[in-house]
Amino acid sequence: MNLSSVESLAYSLPELILVFATVGILMLDLLITRKRILGELALCACGGAALASALLAGAEQGYLFNQMVALDGFAIFFKLFLSLSAFAAVYMSLGSRELDNEHPGEYYTLLLAAATGTFYMASATNLLMAYLALEFVSLTSYVLTGFIRASRRGSEAALKYLIYGGVASGAMVYGMSLIFGLAGSLDYATIGERLLVPSEANGPILFIAVLLVLAGFGYKISMVPFHMWSPDVYQGAPLPVTAYLSVGSKAAGFAMMIRFFYVALSHAGAGGVWATIEGLEWPNLIVLGSIITMTLGNLAALRQDNVKRLLAYSSIAHAGYILMGFVVLSDAGLRAMLFYIATYYLMNLGAFTVLMMVLNNSDREDMEAFRGLAWRGGALPAAAMAVFMFSLAGVPPFAGFIGKFYLFAAVIDKEMWMLAIVAALNSVVSLYYYARIVRTMYLDQPLKSDPVMTTDWHSGAFAGVLAVGTIVFGVYWRPLIDLADKSLVFFRG
Amino acid sequence: MQFEYANVLVFLGLGLFLCAFMMGLGSLVRPHNPERKKLTTYECGEEVQGDSWINFNIRFYLVALIFLIFDIEVAFIYPVVAVFKQWVADGNGLFALTEIFIFISILVAGLVYVWTKGDLQWIMKVVVPVKPADDPKQSQSPKVGGTIYVAD
Amino acid sequence: MEEFSLSVAAFYFMAGLTLLGAGGVVFTENIVYSALSLMVSFFGVAGLYIFLNADFVAGVQVLVYVGGVLVLTLFAVMLTHQIAEIEVSNKSVGRVPALLICGGLFLVIAKALRGAEFFTTPGGQVSESSTYGIGNLLLREYILPFELASVVLLAVLVGAVVLSRKEVIAPDGTPVPERETIPLTEGQRVMSSPRAALAGAAAKQKVSDV
Repeated sequence: MNLSSVESLAYSLPELILVFATVGILMLDLLITRKRILGELALCACGGAALASALLAGAEQGYLFNQMVALDGFAIFFKLFLSLSAFAAVYMSLGSRELDNEHPGEYYTLLLAAATGTFYMASATNLLMAYLALEFVSLTSYVLTGFIRASRRGSEAALKYLIYGGVASGAMVYGMSLIFGLAGSLDYATIGERLLVPSEANGPILFIAVLLVLAGFGYKISMVPFHMWSPDVYQGAPLPVTAYLSVGSKAAGFAMMIRFFYVALSHAGAGGVWATIEGLEWPNLIVLGSIITMTLGNLAALRQDNVKRLLAYSSIAHAGYILMGFVVLSDAGLRAMLFYIATYYLMNLGAFTVLMMVLNNSDREDMEAFRGLAWRGGALPAAAMAVFMFSLAGVPPFAGFIGKFYLFAAVIDKEMWMLAIVAALNSVVSLYYYARIVRTMYLDQPLKSDPVMTTDWHSGAFAGVLAVGTIVFGVYWRPLIDLADKSLVFFRG
Repeated sequence: MQFEYANVLVFLGLGLFLCAFMMGLGSLVRPHNPERKKLTTYECGEEVQGDSWINFNIRFYLVALIFLIFDIEVAFIYPVVAVFKQWVADGNGLFALTEIFIFISILVAGLVYVWTKGDLQWIMKVVVPVKPADDPKQSQSPKVGGTIYVAD
Repeated sequence: MEEFSLSVAAFYFMAGLTLLGAGGVVFTENIVYSALSLMVSFFGVAGLYIFLNADFVAGVQVLVYVGGVLVLTLFAVMLTHQIAEIEVSNKSVGRVPALLICGGLFLVIAKALRGAEFFTTPGGQVSESSTYGIGNLLLREYILPFELASVVLLAVLVGAVVLSRKEVIAPDGTPVPERETIPLTEGQRVMSSPRAALAGAAAKQKVSDV
């Protein structure tokens, strides 16, 4: 189906909920003095959006708003995922002491606005729409990064993010303009059709255009060499925002990238195997990107003492792992990516939640804040953190292991040995720094000066739910992989 | 169409030429004997105070920023308004009106926000804490004491 | 042929203006001059849009960039500390590597562009203004980006205001609720605009002169 604007509204309930909540919270902020209700409202909006996205699952596939966005399994999977990410970010914000004295009205407005942008990133099938959505998310992220104005580090991070983002999106929009010039259309499916005919003369410029567009995507998913902003931004931003950037905004970047590269620059063949358009071997480029990204992320993470910064480098490394599924040009690879992104949500958000509990308790986020955590009243947070760390490292029986298993299976199936070997070595390296946190929590004895760990029940409950999820999907992952399988539907008209 | 804009170019050239011409002519005929007082900037007869390159107040920036947002809004609305008559003639006037209405009402929310928060007010309320000595009742917890109107 | 060559000359004039302005932005060491050079560049770009039959975009370029963005840039420039000490404000460093990288990139892109065959749609001279076309597109095909743009603008407005607003936080770190403020008497009025401060300083000086 191909719906015009008014008919499409019935199918964009999740976005409508978020937009209404965005404007509503801003207005309500002017009226009420009990500000906590704003955060609770934002939480409801994210929950509502998740529910509405889930309800769309049975709907007919098609284009909405005159081919601006697609309603297909892929979009619905990411809408569900992204609303859950926003939900987690709002939930963490409610429990974060860092944000206590900041403007809640504006904060939740911007957070929900960013969530709206990610929805359109995942479903855009038009270059203009995709760029607008990307800019939307970027602009709101800059502000959220520097939201605590008393924090100099935050302001510095926001400025770096802004400058880097400006350059990346400038490069991207130039690349898009070249693609528009070559294909004469902004619509992904049309671009795919028009570029299908190989052209000797257009090969070099198409390659440059794709490279430039890749700069924009690479920046969003923090792929080397476009990753430079992420350690500073992750460290400087308020913790819930960091968690959101590393899960929500990154997943949206992956969704947009998959849709662009697979729908516009590839075509599906038989048996779940994809082929690139002739003369444009973008997978080679990204194989290199994947290898460098995971290696650099892991090696840099080894030397970090600030846990937030460590998780930033770990997040870069994981972008490299996820890209493994991207380059194999098969449905198995894409399925592994979706599965990995979902498990990454559980374990990474979990790690950030425990970090937030430690930060709330001791106002510190370095390794020493975790010293002997298990022996000074933090047995449960320490146990949860251990689960998340081992899962991030890819140790069985946790969800991270299954995610990596599917990624490796897809790569080995394509006989890309080099990539598989580098990724395996990287997993071993990463175990070192993840295990270091676990060792600090359990084997180091707390000093007298270390505060007794106390925590509020709702952060604890959230970490607990995520930890249980990490374990459950590590043992019984069938439903999740089935969901990923079902979501691999791209509507192409 | 480009020809119409050639007018603009001609006017631009004419303007530049006239400026250069007048100033050149002036420099040819006027007497030239500079002195210190003469070289100072004319400021309505007042004595010149410092440099013109000073740190501007952030409020200029804030207002310019709000202006810019609504400037862009105008740029979006303008082409829609240009075709509005035609849409009404085609019987789709209500649809077009609704679309513009939604667009503007979302931005009006922004206007309401900055207005209510006092960002459009040049004279801002700034809250200063009262010193504990001034008020013994409030010495336990530093609380708001008064407002100073800052004129920038 | 006379008209043709005139139009080509005008094109080169506009392109030259754009490049000259851009060069000024990069190479001037005075940051205020950099900002003003940007205006020249923006005007040049507006002229180039007219050559592309994009008269509406040219208008927007003047309205938004010259009229808005540039004013904002100038204010931002004037907000920098030590604006009077212009020598430190805008040093350019690493000119040789920059030249090599940018020059190399330029050559590569130019080489690739020269051989490219761009997609062309049949059609002759566009005569009417592009404003109507854009208006129709905004209401028909691009209605979602159009409406989403308003939400983007709203978010940007809120974000920019919340970051650049001047605020006072009580010494213990608690934010001061706005509703608890009490208006002050006339005697406690404080003037602190730059002009007023200078006037105050001048007044003091006069007193000491006497």
